[in-house]
Amino acid sequence: MISEQTKQRMCDLASRYPVARSAVMPALHLVQQEEGYITSEGLQAVADAVGMTVDAVESVATFYTMYQQHPQGKHVVHVCTSISCYLRNCDALVEHLEKRLGIKRGETTPDGNVTLLTAECLASCGTAPVLQVNGEFVENVTLEKADALIRDWNETARA
Amino acid sequence: MPEEKKTDLIHLTIDGASVEVPTGTLVWAAAKQAGIEVPIYCYHPKMPPLGACRMCFVEIEKLPKPPQTACTTPVSEGMVVHTKTEKVLKARRGTLEFLLINHPLDCPVCDKGGECDLQDFTLRHGPGGTRFDQHKRHYSKAVPVSDNVFLDRERCILCQRCTRFSSEISMDNGLVMISRGYKMEVGTAPDHAFDSVFSGNTVEICPVGALTAASYRFKSRPWELKRTASVCNNCSVGCNARVDVRVDKVMRLMSRANDEIDDGWLCDRGRWGFEFVNSPQRLRTPMIRRSGTLVPTTWDEALFYTAKRFKDIIAKHGAQSIGGIGSTRTTNEEAYLFQKFLRTVLGTPNVDHHHGSFPAPRDPLTNKPWAMTNSIAEIELASHIVLIASDPYKRQPVLNLRIKKAMKAGAKIFVLNSDVTELDRLAARKITIPQYGAGAAAKLLLSNIVQGETLRTSNEAISARVLSENAITQEHAAAFGLAATAQLVELAHEIAEAKGAVILYDEMATLDPDCQNLAADLQALAVLTDNIGRPGAGVGPLFEDANSLGARDMGVLPDVLPGYQPASEVGKTYNEMLSSPEIKALFVMGANPARHLPKPELPASLEFIVVQDILLTETAQQADVVFPAVTFAEKDGSMTNLDHHVQAIRRSLRALPGAKADWEILVELAQHLGKTWDYETPADILHEIAENNPFYTGLEWEDLGKQGVRITQEQEVARA
Amino acid sequence: MPELIVTKNLAIPGLDTLATYREHGGYEALAHALTAYQPDELVALIKDSGLRGRGGAGFPTGMKWGFLAKNNMPRYLCCNADESEPGTFKDRMLMEKNPHQLVEGVIITSFACRVTTAFIYVRGELAKAGRQVTRAVEEAYAAGLIGKNILGSDYSLDIIVHRGAGAYICGEESALMESLEGRRGYPRLKPPFPAVVGLYGGPTVINNCETLSTIPAIIKGGAQWYASFGTEKSKGTRVFCLSGHVKKPGNYELPLGTPISTLIYDEQYGGGMLDDKKLKAIIPGGSSTFILGADKVNTPLDFESIAAVGSMLGSGGVIAINEDTCMVGAILRMTEFYRDESCGKCTPCREGTYWMTEILERLEHGHGKESDIKLLVDICDNISGKSFCPLGDASTSSITSGIKLFLEEFQYHVTHGHCMVGAGRTRPEIGAVEGASLFAGAV
Repeated sequence: MISEQTKQRMCDLASRYPVARSAVMPALHLVQQEEGYITSEGLQAVADAVGMTVDAVESVATFYTMYQQHPQGKHVVHVCTSISCYLRNCDALVEHLEKRLGIKRGETTPDGNVTLLTAECLASCGTAPVLQVNGEFVENVTLEKADALIRDWNETARA
Repeated sequence: MPEEKKTDLIHLTIDGASVEVPTGTLVWAAAKQAGIEVPIYCYHPKMPPLGACRMCFVEIEKLPKPPQTACTTPVSEGMVVHTKTEKVLKARRGTLEFLLINHPLDCPVCDKGGECDLQDFTLRHGPGGTRFDQHKRHYSKAVPVSDNVFLDRERCILCQRCTRFSSEISMDNGLVMISRGYKMEVGTAPDHAFDSVFSGNTVEICPVGALTAASYRFKSRPWELKRTASVCNNCSVGCNARVDVRVDKVMRLMSRANDEIDDGWLCDRGRWGFEFVNSPQRLRTPMIRRSGTLVPTTWDEALFYTAKRFKDIIAKHGAQSIGGIGSTRTTNEEAYLFQKFLRTVLGTPNVDHHHGSFPAPRDPLTNKPWAMTNSIAEIELASHIVLIASDPYKRQPVLNLRIKKAMKAGAKIFVLNSDVTELDRLAARKITIPQYGAGAAAKLLLSNIVQGETLRTSNEAISARVLSENAITQEHAAAFGLAATAQLVELAHEIAEAKGAVILYDEMATLDPDCQNLAADLQALAVLTDNIGRPGAGVGPLFEDANSLGARDMGVLPDVLPGYQPASEVGKTYNEMLSSPEIKALFVMGANPARHLPKPELPASLEFIVVQDILLTETAQQADVVFPAVTFAEKDGSMTNLDHHVQAIRRSLRALPGAKADWEILVELAQHLGKTWDYETPADILHEIAENNPFYTGLEWEDLGKQGVRITQEQEVARA
Repeated sequence: MPELIVTKNLAIPGLDTLATYREHGGYEALAHALTAYQPDELVALIKDSGLRGRGGAGFPTGMKWGFLAKNNMPRYLCCNADESEPGTFKDRMLMEKNPHQLVEGVIITSFACRVTTAFIYVRGELAKAGRQVTRAVEEAYAAGLIGKNILGSDYSLDIIVHRGAGAYICGEESALMESLEGRRGYPRLKPPFPAVVGLYGGPTVINNCETLSTIPAIIKGGAQWYASFGTEKSKGTRVFCLSGHVKKPGNYELPLGTPISTLIYDEQYGGGMLDDKKLKAIIPGGSSTFILGADKVNTPLDFESIAAVGSMLGSGGVIAINEDTCMVGAILRMTEFYRDESCGKCTPCREGTYWMTEILERLEHGHGKESDIKLLVDICDNISGKSFCPLGDASTSSITSGIKLFLEEFQYHVTHGHCMVGAGRTRPEIGAVEGASLFAGAV
């Protein structure tokens, strides 16, 4: 459900920009915040707020990789796998997470707690390897640090 | 003047040949003019350059970073272009190799095979083989994106022509690019159909077999088709179409690009609405009513019987008791012969066809016949476009594209309608009026102009009439409410100040209650605001059918002869013929009056009904004699579209055995009634029209060529 | 340690708040610019300072401002903070630690360019940076530093912070404008250039985050002062992002012209190669630049010197690669990036990056053929200079330079089916060294 309040925020955004259409990206961010991913209802709400067709909104939503097209886990983990992290063995980190979580990259744990994704360079090359949990950085990740993160995620799942 | 024009020309050299083109021409177009093929995929002359496919490489001396793309580079004075250097050829080979790495080699089963730009350019510009030896991307084969269009994503080369048609031309953004990079594909929002009345154009401009038409898939190979230059028969726009026929069946209609009329587009209704031509329900033999039922008979018997009955009726009730209802879809030649048959063979003045409500055959103010005073192309020059009770998207679709093109060039659109229309979302202002409120809206606009604006042209008579109607106008204003009335005041001001306003209304809206003065009031509005005869300005009805205007021009009207020359005796109107007990016989050609009656039953007072048609319509079912006619695809003739272009339709396939063209039936009937009509071809009839109709003076069949002729003024033509 | 300009004060706690920023002289440059200069004088001053764009292309900033078309259309400024070039992480630091410095730079630049609406396009993945900049803009609005009649002058400005959503291509200035206008981030045809027809059709200036963050300091210190740093043609300082196999990766602000070796080996900066391994290759300006061999380690880090040895200074992302690294694997990883980030608009980049990745993958995994190497070079030739925008060119840099420098590694993969540097030695143990803090150079 896209709340009336969110729809209002989308309309406010549309009037903030010189052209309403410019608000399509921030409005899609709002959909994702509220729904966890870009739902059909969300596409329609954005289309209505910024004056585009749903098809045109879908076209924008699928161009940018941050807009998820499917439901995501409670903790969305992005591990950077670009060159600087690669040189600092991010692949071992991904493999470690895959083993511990029992899922492959791109998948969500069956309990819906963790989604494991890889990402292009996250602008944290000086503290490689890095990952993000729900958009927040965890830097200089070691395998021990990764295990600690998994423990945290499991605890919040149980809580 | 000619010298001044010369300075606007740019001189350049392409592969050693000198070329002269206007400023702003793209290198691609200049090469085309010089007869040099520069292959393109993403570029389309009706859309701005994109530069995406990287196919049109050329080498231009003195420009940095060769090769350059010809579709994005405008010409400049003294430019030296090479289209066949090693650098160019390698780059083109490279692009083709890239396009082919993921393209399936299913040409043998692809509808596009034989007319595919990827196939053709690969042969002419591509590498002989591929170095790609890995797995191609796979998608499920053709999936429907709508009921009419299928998409094969494997074949798609992502040139974006279709999606840009959707965003730039039809502006409905129905087909879009989804995802990005190597995962990019054409598509729509999930579970959303590609809902556009212009979707067929995307199929036509697709350079490969990615988009295919449901109606044409696996039906034919391009080399089996017989292609005939004709005109779409669906609405009054008259888009130029190529009729592609395979073994006596129409397979498809393709655009034949006439910039004056269709700008290169067709609507889906026109493109795919040809099933009636191939219909198994077509009439193949004349029929006569015997013991209450229509039964097949021979042509001889039907003609003989009809002639005899007409003679009997004339003897019994007089010729005045016969009425004739003509068609808005038959050719000018047939419309002309139809009224001539009624007036001179049968001797009755009762001739009409179904049309809007106009106060007289000609507009009393300007003495012009009722028709759009501007050309279709001139709409692009308008600063304001006012659509009153008209919805071209539904009724004259390709005109909707021209309006959108004008909007891109800066025109403001005003929609006055009681219903939602497609252009509402793009309009500068949508004014929602009450149902049947168009007549009142026109009066309010006119009254605001007369009383509130500085008039460019004063006209005492109009002003006096407007003032005399003031009380009624005030009542209308009250009914409209404050908001709509205020919007009309604002619009009246816009029209009065406009650089050029084009004011359009639907012909049939004039038949609505209280709208009988709609045409006259809007014409008056245009006269007072000087919106007639200036560039980008005009007024007029949007007609319904392919030859609605032609029927009027040919005098299929009760009060005028061909060319709007007054008839010596005024006959009964369409409605009168269908209600007056004095009418005993009805002759109907290509019309279906029963459908327009409250109950689909013709008056019982009719003793004899003759119908010429292609199908057993509601009217034909009630006839005493039915003659099987042929469709536009099976005959030659001319038609006159809504901006007065006279265009040729051409026989694209053999006439259905047993059926005849309407003009042939008329000639045979006249002969059976003792006349020596000796027309052998429609060209003969057109020749006679040209001698009788001041608008068509001097026009011969050969003049119509492939793009038709626009006739503007009777005086001009008469003098010629 | 040389004088710090753009990373000065970064260690001060609370610098990201308006109060602390002002305590340390923040917004004084703005007040000075508004009172002591006419807009055109500011453009001249930045021209004199020799400041060149810090985004990658190194175009002279003042000259860019001077190109703005004089017409009746509204003008716009876009701050390009869509930092996504692999190996680059300076803008994120500047936004997270000192967002007001950026905002001040945006206001001064807007004033100089007679812009009334400015946008800060922050990369979507950098959530914290986005929050910090948004908060700084809100604080500045509240303090009358943005909005109507800034600091009592007759200059008014609106700033909108716009978050990206994951597209490297939006760092390309015309794609950034498309994105801001609510479309897919496809680069636009040039000409017209943004300075003539840009955002919403108006003349538009687009500057990188670091470039704009440098403006206040130049206003305060003067053009001559700023120009006294760096080299003849590459003036001033630059934040170099050092990553890869070094002991202390991080951001280090150094005068242009400092040798690569100083950045990598000096104790104040990189502190030498991780585990004291041998340096094998250097990527001098982000993954889009040509790889340099270890023999080029003494090359000064300025636009001209790096160009002279066959690469580009780019975004300032210096990546050090040690002797144990498989170059085929590293280049595959970089190529995958371009395949995934290609916008798909043009054929050579969309299809070529896909094809090259497929070939590199098979080489890396030992299924390659000898002819693959030549094929790769030829595909690069069919992309480079043929693609619509520089992303296509960029995708070929590591491959062409990598094959030139390390051909025998590619051949070894073909003939032996695996890497010549030996399995298990390709990359250091994860977490072998605790990485330096994000803004090590500034502490």
